[in-house]
Amino acid sequence: MFDFSTITTAIDQFLHSVLPSQAALLVECILVALCAVLAYVMLAIVMIFMERKVCAAFQCRLGPMRVGPWGLLQVFADVFKMLIKEIISIKNSDKVLYNLAPYLVVMSSVLTFSCLPFAKGLQVLDFNIGVFFIMAASSFGVLGILLAGWSSNNKYSMIGAVRSGAQMISYELSIGLCILSIVALSGTMQISELVAAQADGWFIFRGHIPAFVAFIIYLIAGNAETNRAPFDLPEAESELTAGFHTEYSGMHFGFFYVAEFMNLFIVAGIASTLFLGGWTPLHISGFDSFNTIMDYIPGVVWFLGKTFFVIWLLMWVRWTFPRLRIDQVVSLEWKYLVPIGLLNLLIMTLCVVMGWTF
Amino acid sequence: MNPEFIDINDFRARMETLRRTGMNFLRDIIGMDWGEEGLGAIYSLENTSTGQVLQTAVRCCDREKPSIPTVCDLWSVAELYEREVYDFFGIHFAGHPDMRRLYLRNDWVGHPLRKDYNEDEAINPIRMENEIPEDVQRPYELAEDAEMEISDKLTNKIHGDQYIINIGPQHPATHGVLRFRLALDGEEIRKIDIHCGYIHRGIEKMSEKMTYPQILALTDRLDYLSAHQNRHALCMCIEKAMGIEITDRTQYIRTIMDELQRIDSHLLFLSCAAMDLGAITTFIYGFRDREKILDIFEEVTGGRLIQNYNTIGGVQYDITPDFAKKVKEFCQYQKGKLQEYNDVFTNNIITRKRMIGVGILSYDDAISYGCTGGTGRASGWACDVRKRHPYALYDKVDFKEIIYKNGDCYDRFLVRLDEIVESIHIIEQLIDNIPEGDYKVKTKPIIRIPEGRYSASVEGSRGEFGVFIESKGDKSPYRIKFRPMGLPLVAAMHKILKGAKIADLIAIGATLDYVIPDIDR
Amino acid sequence: MEFKETYIGRIFYGMRSLLIGLHTTLKEFFTKKVTEQYPENRKTQHISERHRAMLYMPLDENGNNKCIACGLCANTCPNGTIVIKTKTVTDEETGKSKKVLVDYTYDLGSCMYCQLCVNVCPKEAIAFNNHFENAVFDRSKLFIKLNK
Repeated sequence: MFDFSTITTAIDQFLHSVLPSQAALLVECILVALCAVLAYVMLAIVMIFMERKVCAAFQCRLGPMRVGPWGLLQVFADVFKMLIKEIISIKNSDKVLYNLAPYLVVMSSVLTFSCLPFAKGLQVLDFNIGVFFIMAASSFGVLGILLAGWSSNNKYSMIGAVRSGAQMISYELSIGLCILSIVALSGTMQISELVAAQADGWFIFRGHIPAFVAFIIYLIAGNAETNRAPFDLPEAESELTAGFHTEYSGMHFGFFYVAEFMNLFIVAGIASTLFLGGWTPLHISGFDSFNTIMDYIPGVVWFLGKTFFVIWLLMWVRWTFPRLRIDQVVSLEWKYLVPIGLLNLLIMTLCVVMGWTF
Repeated sequence: MNPEFIDINDFRARMETLRRTGMNFLRDIIGMDWGEEGLGAIYSLENTSTGQVLQTAVRCCDREKPSIPTVCDLWSVAELYEREVYDFFGIHFAGHPDMRRLYLRNDWVGHPLRKDYNEDEAINPIRMENEIPEDVQRPYELAEDAEMEISDKLTNKIHGDQYIINIGPQHPATHGVLRFRLALDGEEIRKIDIHCGYIHRGIEKMSEKMTYPQILALTDRLDYLSAHQNRHALCMCIEKAMGIEITDRTQYIRTIMDELQRIDSHLLFLSCAAMDLGAITTFIYGFRDREKILDIFEEVTGGRLIQNYNTIGGVQYDITPDFAKKVKEFCQYQKGKLQEYNDVFTNNIITRKRMIGVGILSYDDAISYGCTGGTGRASGWACDVRKRHPYALYDKVDFKEIIYKNGDCYDRFLVRLDEIVESIHIIEQLIDNIPEGDYKVKTKPIIRIPEGRYSASVEGSRGEFGVFIESKGDKSPYRIKFRPMGLPLVAAMHKILKGAKIADLIAIGATLDYVIPDIDR
Repeated sequence: MEFKETYIGRIFYGMRSLLIGLHTTLKEFFTKKVTEQYPENRKTQHISERHRAMLYMPLDENGNNKCIACGLCANTCPNGTIVIKTKTVTDEETGKSKKVLVDYTYDLGSCMYCQLCVNVCPKEAIAFNNHFENAVFDRSKLFIKLNK
């Protein structure tokens, strides 16, 4: 498997040879940020297009077909429209917080995004408590949503924001428990090591039943974290028109929109990293020729393939189910997911201790 | 049918007696302006256990300060009906707790359905400023000396210090321009205040200047999802009044069309209910299948939503040669698709949790609020006009009246799903046996209805749709009144909403299945 | 207590109903789509002959309309959509005077397609056609002169 760290080290050495070390660091930071944001935006555009087409297919429609062949340029047109729209300022709103909120949401998702291992060595942030960092970074997105709802001086937004707060804080717990059971299985918190440990077998196979249960719970809770149906109450359009981002327009709304999609990507990306082996190819022990063929497929393709499969799963769910009510959302978490998650963690630990894993 | 006129002094006592003796369903209150003889109202009552029908009327000679005792404590639905009469005729209902206008603005001058109403536009210009809500309303009461006076008791609808949120008039879940003012406590709804009239077009007022064929064109625009049934009711009423016998072929066509329209409406109900609960895919499935009915409508009537099909004495066009084949194909197709709705939505655990036990309307409340149609039947009230007072061919076909017991959202939803099956069943019995004959009988070029009062009612897609005509023998009616199907449903809203959450309001609104142009007229 | 109402039973039946739902949408994912791509399918698109899109005057084989300028259609219209201008012409041979149509204006913007005018016309001089693509940029273009 090709290691991207050879390229990054080469660039690093080159920069250090021509620049003083402080300046080299600065240039590296800018380069990395540029690449990360570019990837972030491009993926968001791909996902918006995918969402519209997948949704249409589930609904017996064709989806966008007008702009470009098969509507391929539709999203670019939408982005362009969003860019040239006026950002309307709201009377009696808390101007500072109102303008800050969308950036908080985007910041949290970019930070989490930078932890994703796209391929061997192709990862912005990688340190020994990477999993912890992901959870911490992703959970301050809720702050942006709460602030957006509060500052826009709109009652719909307010209700949406409060719903979102209750929901996201609850579901963090389940996500934590699922990740914890994988950490228990692998014995490490560093993301690169987590992926490397799956080279011989993905955790969802090695951890068998408890890993599978954790995967399902993770998908449910991840769906709730991203405020997507059936957990889209914060922006339930038939109840609260648009929930917390009712008053936002132009690119401010665009930030929420992009962040929502990228959160979906991140949730799917983490799912594929933790459960489906990240960028490691599918290996079946005993079939050596098969394994070598699999090795020829680059890691990026493996990672994106798995991630987009999980995204497709989540879209399938989103376009099938009706929305829950707020008390049902909370009771689903506290009465079902948390107890099952705890039990699952216990079983997983037991399996690891007794060596009942593959 | 001529109403029983009651002296205003005995009115209250007589109505109380009627209520006690089982006249528990107040179909409608029809405000009347009899000119010299004064203002008044006609009450249409029915005994739901015996089927006995009665109309009573009361007159008030004082045109300056007309007042009639209220009956809203006897029949809950009268609360909104009386507000409507007050709005259009200026009759105060003494003892009514909330005597506000229902449709027009608070600052509207005059009462438009009175015969002496001044239509000058300068009096009621298009107002550019906001309407100030009358949150604190002083009720009018009948004092000892029979004079109207404003009571000191304040009936607070909604306090200013509550968390008030407006659902509507522009809101995705009200399916039109209806406005609820909600007082919230967290997510829970404490009070609801309903504002109608955002799409009030004054169809009853317009009709008083139009000829009968012209009025027919307006009925499609009342409840646009019961266009055929509405028009059927008015045609039936006019035909009855003029003594026109329509052919069997017409009866068959009308019945089939009514049922197709009912399926159309119920499919839209199902779709919109699903969308309100967040299941957008089910919404598209419903619309996909509804398209097939609309195609049939377009082929036969020339219209998809506004069909203009029934005319006085028949129908506009004969059916097309392949009509029967297409309808049979559709029936087969639709039967298969019902299982899909059940799989993807009805039996879904989330749907069940959202709907079961939510928004319960009890049997007694359903009758007291006059909630006919699927809503009433979900509460156990056998209120189908097709069974109670059969018209067209409904006494000849075999079909089941769908009745559920719980009266919650889920039952209201299931009633409609099952009614689709029953409607298909009715169509299948009729479609192969359409007799040969004329689709239309010749009528006089100018339609005049002999003097008198006439009424007819049909089972619309969402309840009993009634037409009342008072004629003086002219080309136009002296007074025409359409019984709205949606107004009683909206009236029952605050009863149903006890302890509900915002999300429940959406589910309840979706399953009550009101259509705003029908409420506002 | 029945299995359905136990904690495990609720999870089991809940999951089952969700899976049935997922199965249904998955089937639709692979079925043929029903979208009609409107401007492209103009050639194949079927519009009912009875569809009321716009009033027009059918011409006879000599290219004349059948209107006798009686004004019944204008009178019967609920919205005043039709305005007819006539002039009186005296026939030179018989000496009888006769009303002749000068201008038949139809306001597409206020027509509500109730078909009363077509029904009332004694000569079948007007009818509805299928030309439904009537969007224009200017309201005044909706006033259409029907007699040519």
